[in-house]
Amino acid sequence: MTTRDAAVHIKNVSHQFGEAGETQYVRALADTSLDIARGELLCLIGPSGCGKSTLLNVIGGLMTPTGGAVEVAGKPVRGPMPQDIAFVFQENALFPWNTVLENVRLGMLFQGVPKSEHETRAKQSLEAVGLAEFAHHYPSQLSGGMRQRAALARALSLKTDILLMDEPFGALDEQTRMILGEDLSVLLSQTDKTIVFVTHSLGEAVFLADRVAVFSARPGTIKKIIRVDEPHPRKPEFVTSEKFAALRNELYALLHDEIRKTVAESARSPGGS
Amino acid sequence: MARRNERAARIGSRAVQLGFLLGILALWYLATNRWGINRLLLPNPIAVWQQLLDVLKSGEYLPDLRITLTELVAAFALSMTFGTIVGYFVSRTGYTIRVFEPLFAGIYSIPIILFLPLYILFFGLGPASKIALGATISFFPIVLSTIAGFGNVDRTLVTAAKSMGASDYQLFRYVLVPAALPVILSGLRMGFTIALLAIIGSEVIASLAGLGHHIVQLAEGMDMARMFAYIAFVVVIAGLLNGAVSFLEARGRRRI
Amino acid sequence: MNPALRQFLLRHGGVVRLGVVALLLIAWEIAARWFIDPLFISPPSRVLLSLGAVWHTNGVPAALRLTLFELAVAFAIAVVIGLTVGLAVGLRPFARRSLMPIILLLYGLPQITILPLFILYFGIGPASKIAFGVTHGMFPIMIAIVAGVQNMKPILLVSARSMGASRWQVLRWVIFPHMIPSFFAGMRLGMSGALLGVLLAELYVSTAGIGHFTTMFTENFDPTKLFGLVAMLAAMAIALNEIVRRAETRFSRWR
Repeated sequence: MTTRDAAVHIKNVSHQFGEAGETQYVRALADTSLDIARGELLCLIGPSGCGKSTLLNVIGGLMTPTGGAVEVAGKPVRGPMPQDIAFVFQENALFPWNTVLENVRLGMLFQGVPKSEHETRAKQSLEAVGLAEFAHHYPSQLSGGMRQRAALARALSLKTDILLMDEPFGALDEQTRMILGEDLSVLLSQTDKTIVFVTHSLGEAVFLADRVAVFSARPGTIKKIIRVDEPHPRKPEFVTSEKFAALRNELYALLHDEIRKTVAESARSPGGS
Repeated sequence: MARRNERAARIGSRAVQLGFLLGILALWYLATNRWGINRLLLPNPIAVWQQLLDVLKSGEYLPDLRITLTELVAAFALSMTFGTIVGYFVSRTGYTIRVFEPLFAGIYSIPIILFLPLYILFFGLGPASKIALGATISFFPIVLSTIAGFGNVDRTLVTAAKSMGASDYQLFRYVLVPAALPVILSGLRMGFTIALLAIIGSEVIASLAGLGHHIVQLAEGMDMARMFAYIAFVVVIAGLLNGAVSFLEARGRRRI
Repeated sequence: MNPALRQFLLRHGGVVRLGVVALLLIAWEIAARWFIDPLFISPPSRVLLSLGAVWHTNGVPAALRLTLFELAVAFAIAVVIGLTVGLAVGLRPFARRSLMPIILLLYGLPQITILPLFILYFGIGPASKIAFGVTHGMFPIMIAIVAGVQNMKPILLVSARSMGASRWQVLRWVIFPHMIPSFFAGMRLGMSGALLGVLLAELYVSTAGIGHFTTMFTENFDPTKLFGLVAMLAAMAIALNEIVRRAETRFSRWR
């Protein structure tokens, strides 16, 4: 893939926290390079502390890497790019004092969408995630799954080319994750967004992604990229197919040792991941 | 079964409270009318009631009330303005919080009324010293709660807003202020209550006018019944003011 | 700025704090020396130097001792009353429901309004200061004790009973140890309350306590001695607060 087709171009990105010799010194990410194609859904998966969330923050301009650089839509990333990139965080990103509708509208206000478009866009995105009836509810009145739908609606209403999702279903129970995963696949098949999705769940990665980037233990780097050749929207039957099982097993094999390494490392130095 | 016990308990406790109130009044009445307690120590409750009506009807309290309220409003305006502004700027970085918050908390831990003689020396016995002391004392709960309010805003909310392109002003207005408001409002309520106490207190201790001073005057004139009436009056006024402020605080929090 | 210095300052916030205090003292010094009438304010240098003179003013050390004595007695009585009433009310749910609102109501009253009454009843000597300190100190203790009993986890009582503990044993081995942090928190508030009460009464009228001298220095327009005396009192208040706070932390370690 040439850099012109790539929506996101990651060039030798590495990141460390603190200086060598200090107690807080952590090499979060080792030299990582990757090109993400326009319209693809890429999953980042790996053991705790392998730097996948760090990489996501670097792509989105929330963090400046200590080494390397990222280009998005041909432009170097130097800070948040709200016109091009929207985020969905794991939790707590909805403003608790605003209703669902107000949250969605506030996002558009921040991005600079003209006021006349707020109403239509908000309605569209809330309908797309299935929350049209809950527009005037407060986040505290919603379940965890519905809150994440609202966060997704907010991100969708910004109509960015790129969507970065940091373990968006991580705080939810298994059953909610399943449903949301299926709905997300349907939703995304209807758009041509480029999506980078961080997850811990092997099944989720195989179900949603076009490609899965498997990270090694800290300091993380991409160990292998696995392609999932299955058209979108992914059907629930895909989960029980042999292709799914084979891919999931491959991921498991790649990850198992890395996870063991990470657990051993954190037992040795309980500074946490 | 549990519900019946619950209701019985509720009625029972109300009965005890009512009984307590009536008991005090009864004791008071008996003490002065039957048991011959010296009128100079404990006035007849009926006389107190009559004096209270007289105070209210004659409007004698008005000039004092005006002075005390003016002092209160001025002091609170000062402490609210400085407290919130200083608190906001201190809250902006973890470092400034670590440096300044213990400083403010430390000063607040000593009874600042101690500095009243200094303020009297500097500002004199007039309203200025009361305003200055009231503003000083009420500054601290306000600045501390402002720091806490802004300092404890969930970082994820700030990150989310910034990722959507929020400007500094938009961040302040749509994220920081609504998030911090409940804590700040409670700090403002505390500051108001403390300012009122400080002002009445300094009027009692050293003043030429105001509600506190009037009570002292009546005490020195040994006009017991009228003094009791005045005390009751001031207590009610203080209760009304604090109640109003609590109400405003609850209203403000519900908006958010 | 030299990066090593910057690192040092970033790590030791306490140093910056001292620096801020020093700057304030310098500002005070400059203002007092050159800008404001020496009748109203005195520069810290002069105050510092004359601390000895304040100490040797006839009666000041005795006055400080007297005030500490008033405080100690007031605090002791407040603790006894606060503890007794607090336990009596806290341990019985019905008592708590009926009496707690009364206690809170009394606590919320502006007690300063009845200070002249206290003087009329107890005179202008130490008795009125002690009494006023007691009424200010006992309510926070009561409230803290009741709160401490209330947030006792019922499961602890249940498991003690299930192991066959008698009522007395539950009180001694479960409730009492649980209460200690709340007790010390209450003591801390009770100490500041008692101090406040004693100080207010002293400032109002005093013949031999420190209130007498603050009045004297104020009327004589002697800011140097007044600042010195107030500084001594403030230091005393800080020291007392620190002592009680240390005791509270030490006994609350399991929290």
